[in-house]
Amino acid sequence: MSEGDAGGASGAIRLTIPAEPASLDVVQDALARLWEQQGVDPVLAMRFETGLVEITANVIEHSFDADQPGREFTLVVDVGADALRAELRDNGVPAAVDLSEVTLPGDDAESGRGLAMALATLDELTHEHREGLNVWRLACRRTDG
Amino acid sequence: MIELDVSTDPRGVGVIAPRGRLTMVSAKQLREAIDGLVTAGTARIVVDLAGTTFLDSSGLGALIAGVKTTRQAGGDLRIARPTEAVTTVLKLTNLDRVLRPRESVEDAFDV
Repeated sequence: MSEGDAGGASGAIRLTIPAEPASLDVVQDALARLWEQQGVDPVLAMRFETGLVEITANVIEHSFDADQPGREFTLVVDVGADALRAELRDNGVPAAVDLSEVTLPGDDAESGRGLAMALATLDELTHEHREGLNVWRLACRRTDG
Repeated sequence: MIELDVSTDPRGVGVIAPRGRLTMVSAKQLREAIDGLVTAGTARIVVDLAGTTFLDSSGLGALIAGVKTTRQAGGDLRIARPTEAVTTVLKLTNLDRVLRPRESVEDAFDV
């Protein structure tokens, strides 16, 4: 299912995978290996992973017309000395996102919490549509030494 | 991936235990399991989260849908034994008020 290097000794993940729900498991399996290899603090890893899963799910769900063939996205994750960082790129329709307007919906809402959760868990989150690509950048600063 | 254990205890309370990650990948399975129990006449359901290692907004949506479905049928949905990861997400989204975690599956409907 996955193509490319799903995490290695380099402290990074680079994946280009189909934009479909099952790919979320591929991403989380790769993250689990990366956290273990790099000895990342579990609380920090969970915070970052929560934000990354929400953005990845958003890309899978919203960035493509349902019948668009060959839907893929590219994810790069890097464990740096100062921060955990990720970048997602997809060539789907431009996401209409205004991160400054994101709030949690009412308690009985069954959807619409993803971006608010990502903003709450990540220290940095940006989205831009550039040269035909949606580009998301995510980071959590390391406090685990 | 996730495994869902579904059972009904002697008091007629349905128990669903998702083991693994409760995300976009598996939320639909949980919705279907809840709907299946309610359709079969079991409107009081406990979701045992002791084996749920990760919860995302889709998983939360399935739990909220379950609260609505069970209440409409005259019952309720309660959660028990959440892991640290799940508790963090519940607090982050202020849903620990709607989905108040219970300490045990057996006592989830006692208070």
